[in-house]
Amino acid sequence: MHDHSTRSFRLGIAGPVGTGKSSLIATVCSELSAELRLGVITNDIYTDEDARLLRSAGVLDPERIRAVETGACPHTAIRDDVTPNLIAVEDLERDFAPLDVVLVESGGDNLTATFSPALVDAQVFVLDVAGGGDVARKGGPGIARADLLVVNKTDLAPYVGVDVEQMVTDAEAARDGKPVLALSRNDPASVAQLKEWVLSMTNVVRSGEHTPVDPGPVAPHTHVDEDGQLITHTHAHAH
Amino acid sequence: MLADGRLPTGGHTQSAGLEPAVRAGLGAGGDRLTDVAGYARDRLRTITRVEAAVAVVARHITVSAATAPRRGSRPDKWPATGDPRLSPADDATGTASRAAMSLGMVEAAWAARTPSQVMRGAARRQGRAYLRLAARVWPDVLRYLRNDTEVARPVVVGVIAGVTGLSAEQVARSVAHDDVQTVVSASLKLLPVDPADAASWLAGLHDDIERLVTDVASLTEIDKLPASGAPLLDVFAQNHADERMRLFHA
Repeated sequence: MHDHSTRSFRLGIAGPVGTGKSSLIATVCSELSAELRLGVITNDIYTDEDARLLRSAGVLDPERIRAVETGACPHTAIRDDVTPNLIAVEDLERDFAPLDVVLVESGGDNLTATFSPALVDAQVFVLDVAGGGDVARKGGPGIARADLLVVNKTDLAPYVGVDVEQMVTDAEAARDGKPVLALSRNDPASVAQLKEWVLSMTNVVRSGEHTPVDPGPVAPHTHVDEDGQLITHTHAHAH
Repeated sequence: MLADGRLPTGGHTQSAGLEPAVRAGLGAGGDRLTDVAGYARDRLRTITRVEAAVAVVARHITVSAATAPRRGSRPDKWPATGDPRLSPADDATGTASRAAMSLGMVEAAWAARTPSQVMRGAARRQGRAYLRLAARVWPDVLRYLRNDTEVARPVVVGVIAGVTGLSAEQVARSVAHDDVQTVVSASLKLLPVDPADAASWLAGLHDDIERLVTDVASLTEIDKLPASGAPLLDVFAQNHADERMRLFHA
């Protein structure tokens, strides 16, 4: 049985392909590895590309970074069947006990992919400005209800014609007051904010005051009911 | 439920050895897709036959323990198994602990028939995933096997069959069907396969699956377990462990 004394804060990092999940993890590791005992689980299309990138970045002991195969089903691996990831997290916690935080990186998927609360305690959803300024407005379960939404690569905004402030405002409107962070790894102030969020979330989870929130696989949506009335609602669970 | 690929036991990470076989040339890069059906048939005659037989015998041991007459022996009469994966002697009559010892012997017999340590590792990891699920869904399994330990999947499946009342035929069929389904599902990710063709291959292997079921369902003794192997697949599996670009664990 799993020993609960070695239970870490499990933080999921989700978001579409290429938005900067791996480099966000690298940033967290380099900023916090002196203060927190960290571990990383990566999911990737081809096994260990992300794990290799992180190992070669030299931000963490390579032994503490493990890759899990997903059989080309990155969505399933964090949502419908978390077993292989959960086993990997627990083994990492056991082998390097005690760890403070284990970061679980989703294989890049689409806007609907979010972590099951059975796998992580909290999750970050990562978008980037290069993906288009309207993505945040389009919404989705991760955008609307992840514990933190990151709008990444803000330094690229002038080159892709995106108004960062507007994108953040759209995101905040979609999130009902939950935090949004405009991030660039070249902007130390934003990196400091990210670090602060991870630290404070770690403390909240440790204190036992945090209840994992399930963003759910389905965003609030609208359809016509039996009486022809237009109704808008969310589902607590998958269809 | 056992035959359903949606059961949360990490099935999506498995290709039943198809990925390393494709890498070694199976399917000829998409020019010879029916290789996939032939591959699944070869497994039914070799590796999967052994696994189904192991599951049948593990089921027999579990059922025998559950129905054994109470003899009133003291629990300390039966020695501990010495294997941390097997549940300790904590039952009044010692039947469960005797069964656990026999299951340890079945697992050893399976390991002796599975020469690739990569395949053994993959099967035990899958067994662990099944055990975790069984601990929640069919907790009687924990009378025989300890939760979250690495026991070969066919042994775990056999014990689940035993505590849930599946027949020997049903568990053999489940193991065989699951293996073919794993192969054809993975082929959709690895080769340019039409999903309807994949379903046709599965249907076309019906007779092979039933032949396997007929051959292994009556087994009750460890010594009678078949020992058919596929050395080339063992080599492929070994190579896969060192391969960087993997979609599937095994």
